[in-house]
Amino acid sequence: MINKNTKILIFGLLVLFGVALLAYGALFHSTTVSAQQDGEPVMLAKSESALIKDASVSGVKRDESGKIKQTYAIGEKAPEACST
Amino acid sequence: MVTKNKTGGFASKLIGWRMWVQTAFLLVWLDPAGLRLHTMCSPVFHCYACPLATFACPIGVIAQFGALHVFPFIAVGLLIAVGALFGTLICGWVCPFGFLQDLAAKVPTPKFDLPKFTGYFRYVVLIGTVLAVPYFFGESHPLFVCRVCPAGALEAAVPTMVGQAIAGTEVVWPNAIKLTILIVFIIAIFFMKRPWCRVLCPLGAIFSLFNRISAFFLQFDADKCTHCEKCHKLCEYGIEPEKTPNDLNCIRCLECTKCSPDALNLGSIFEQSKSKEIQTQ
Repeated sequence: MINKNTKILIFGLLVLFGVALLAYGALFHSTTVSAQQDGEPVMLAKSESALIKDASVSGVKRDESGKIKQTYAIGEKAPEACST
Repeated sequence: MVTKNKTGGFASKLIGWRMWVQTAFLLVWLDPAGLRLHTMCSPVFHCYACPLATFACPIGVIAQFGALHVFPFIAVGLLIAVGALFGTLICGWVCPFGFLQDLAAKVPTPKFDLPKFTGYFRYVVLIGTVLAVPYFFGESHPLFVCRVCPAGALEAAVPTMVGQAIAGTEVVWPNAIKLTILIVFIIAIFFMKRPWCRVLCPLGAIFSLFNRISAFFLQFDADKCTHCEKCHKLCEYGIEPEKTPNDLNCIRCLECTKCSPDALNLGSIFEQSKSKEIQTQ
C-alpha cells in the first residue's frame, strides 16, 4: 500500500526528472563528432537531436580509439538506410 | 447502484473503442504527412528505419547511443515522463506493434498460453541486447537489439527488400538471426496473445516498472469484490487482477474492468478518492 500523497510526490519527481532530462537533451546536450571536409578531419559539435537522426541511419560510428566519427563527409548526403 | 470514479467511467466507455483508439494513434506513428521527425523519439515500439515512421524508436536510440558511449537524455527523459504518467497503458492503447499483434490474435486459431515467468525475459532482453551488448561490443554485434528486432525486420527490412526487388536492384537480406526471429514472430502472433509484448519487449519492460507508481493505474476495491473470479477470465494475459492489479505483465487493456461488481477501475492520482490508501500491488 502506498499513501496517495506519497504517490503524487513520486509521480511529480519522476515527471520533473524526465522533463528535465528531455529538455537538457533537446536544448543543451551536444557531442563532439569527427567528420571529413575536403579530405581534412574537422570536429563538429552535434546536438543530441541531430545525433539521433544520424544514428538512425548509421551516419555516426565509434571507432576503436573511442572517437565518434561521421561516416559521410560534410556536404555529402547522409546514408539513407540503417545498416542493421 | 455501483458508481465509477471519473477516470474509470471515461475508461469504461472507451474500452469498446480500444481498437479504434489504436488505429487513430497509427496516424501519428505512420507519418501520413511525411514529416519524418527522426530527431525526436516516440514512446512506442516502431522502427525508425520503416519508410512509414514519424519518430525515432526509443529503444533503437538507447542502443545506438550505448554503442557510441553517449547518454541518450532525450529518449530516457521521454520514457521516464511517459512511464510515470501512463505505465503500460501505452502498450495496450498506443503502441502500433502491440496493435499488430492484437489484430493477428483476432484470427480464429487455437491460442496457447505461456508461463508467467517468461515475462521476466523482457528484462534480460533490455539489459542484454539494449544496454550491455551495444555498450561493450558496439552496433556490429549480432545480438545488438536492432539486428534481432522483429519490428525492424517487418517494418523496415521487408519493405526495403520489396522496394529493391521492384526497382530491380540487388535484394539485401537481413541476417539469419533476424530472419528467423521474424518468421517465429509471425507464426507466434497467430497462436499466442501478444507474444512479443509479453516475453521479449524491452520497451514494455521499462514501462512495466512504472505500473505501481504511475499517475493512471488499475484500482482495486476489495469491498466491492465478490471473489467471482470473472476478472481472471476477462484477463487474456494470465494475471489475477484482484491480487496484483498493477502487475508487471499487465498491458492495461482494461478488459478486467468489465467485471460486473465494478471492483476494478482505472484510477488516477489526480482525482479525489474516498479512501486515502490505494492498492498498488
